[in-house]
Amino acid sequence: MRVLVQFRSSPAVHAATLRGEAMPSFAATTAAPIPGLIIDPAYTPVQVPTPQAAEPGASPYLYSPAVRFSMAPEEATYLVRGTVPDDPDRQRAAMAEATSRPEVVGVFSDPVIETCLVCPGDPAVGGDQDVATLLGVKALADAGMDGYRVSVAILDTGVNLAHLEAKGRDPKFSSRRSWTPAGVATRPGRHPVGHGTMCAYDVGIAAPKATLLDYALLLSETPGETAMSGLLSDAVLAYSKLLASIQAMPASRRALVVNNSWGMFSPTWDFPVGHPGNYSDNPAHPFNVIVASLEAAGADILFAAGNCGRDCPDGRCRFGTGRPICGANSHPSVLSVAGVDTRKRRVGYSSQGPGRLNPDKPDLSAYTHFRGSGVYPADGGTSAACPVATGVVAAVREKYPSSVLSPAELRALLFKTAEDLGGTGFDHDFGWGVIDGTALAATLAGVRRSSRRRSGSSR
Amino acid sequence: MARVMVTLRLDPGQASPDEVRRLLGLAPEEVDPGFGLVNISPAEHLYTILVDQEAAARIADAPQVEGVFSNPRIEPYGPPEEDQPRE
Repeated sequence: MRVLVQFRSSPAVHAATLRGEAMPSFAATTAAPIPGLIIDPAYTPVQVPTPQAAEPGASPYLYSPAVRFSMAPEEATYLVRGTVPDDPDRQRAAMAEATSRPEVVGVFSDPVIETCLVCPGDPAVGGDQDVATLLGVKALADAGMDGYRVSVAILDTGVNLAHLEAKGRDPKFSSRRSWTPAGVATRPGRHPVGHGTMCAYDVGIAAPKATLLDYALLLSETPGETAMSGLLSDAVLAYSKLLASIQAMPASRRALVVNNSWGMFSPTWDFPVGHPGNYSDNPAHPFNVIVASLEAAGADILFAAGNCGRDCPDGRCRFGTGRPICGANSHPSVLSVAGVDTRKRRVGYSSQGPGRLNPDKPDLSAYTHFRGSGVYPADGGTSAACPVATGVVAAVREKYPSSVLSPAELRALLFKTAEDLGGTGFDHDFGWGVIDGTALAATLAGVRRSSRRRSGSSR
Repeated sequence: MARVMVTLRLDPGQASPDEVRRLLGLAPEEVDPGFGLVNISPAEHLYTILVDQEAAARIADAPQVEGVFSNPRIEPYGPPEEDQPRE
């Protein structure tokens, strides 16, 4: 076990510290070696000022009232690094011997500290092959689940098929069932390479055979202040097309997964909370109503949780300390996806719950901030986590259409099979944990076996 | 917020843009023609139209109107930006 040993003043150590030298011989600081304590000779001793209480008899470690710090050699202390045995008995003996020495102030733990959470602008952590491994794509594929004949609608800035093909993807694509807002010059599958193409690429990690539908709603000609934005009314139109699309599918084979890696960054764009026309907190808003309608018709709807996490929010976030997972991103009928990196650590910008329409958000986490589509240095944001999860859902839908497993039942299975991260069970950082295709495939196989047994015994 | 969404509960015979304009006394230029009349809940017979904010205020008390709602801006959620751009 690594420890930090704090010694009282010693002329030899003080001189070594001033010279920036590594630890002088152990004998310079202590009269005799302490059995079991091994000092790290590469660690330069660090002079630690000694707090001195403002009033006699007060504890200097309360730091209130203000304490005085002394760097005088005769008053300061010195930290060195070392190890003590892991064996409990030997460790106890070494610690007791060390702390009994008059020159030793104390022996303290030296715990492992970890790098900070991934934040906007940080380099990618791993690549899409790592994501495929972590997701359990092989287990899904071995069970015959890769998204074949499943429609995945990418509601975004448009998809560029040529880019996907250049990156090794070969998705099926339906131009006829895609939709482009009025006034947009480019055609489905041929939009400029950007955010939507990243999402399409990331769907392909788990569902390479899915049929992509390109809904370029964020290229709308009725944008806000930036080229890559739209209005919620564009999303209402897109959902009305999707509703017609799923209603045209035979009820026994409905398989439509809808990826939404977008949302609202500022409450100032909305009517205030409490106003009857508000969107963020109001299930009666037309978009929230049509989301519920589409899910009731059998579609799986996934939304990015957002990039307004407390540790390092996206610079565009304007929610302050308010709940950033709002509107349809917090809808009870959708899967709200948070982001973790390939080390399974929450990315610092991933929005935390509670949600506004449903407090139990985000629902679960998926991988983000990895090298993938090549559109950006890292496929980042909960924007990338969402299509990673969408791919898993699409893969499952190949074998289990919504007539067999409703969207709500599939969400419940995803929660049950997620790898728990953070606190035990659900929490507002990770939801139920990180999506786990291997556990999901195993659970589905078990369900299938038991339903076969039940149908066999009833004959 | 130049235009807002208005949710309507309509009988089957009323569910066309022309009939909605007639019922609510809306001028053609007050209604977004590209948006049209969108069925947001077939089960509940709920529809929405996109109209000028002033026209929405005028029709808010009509029996077919369920509510007047915001039409906020939406943006992609990533990759996240580091800077602090426009308000």
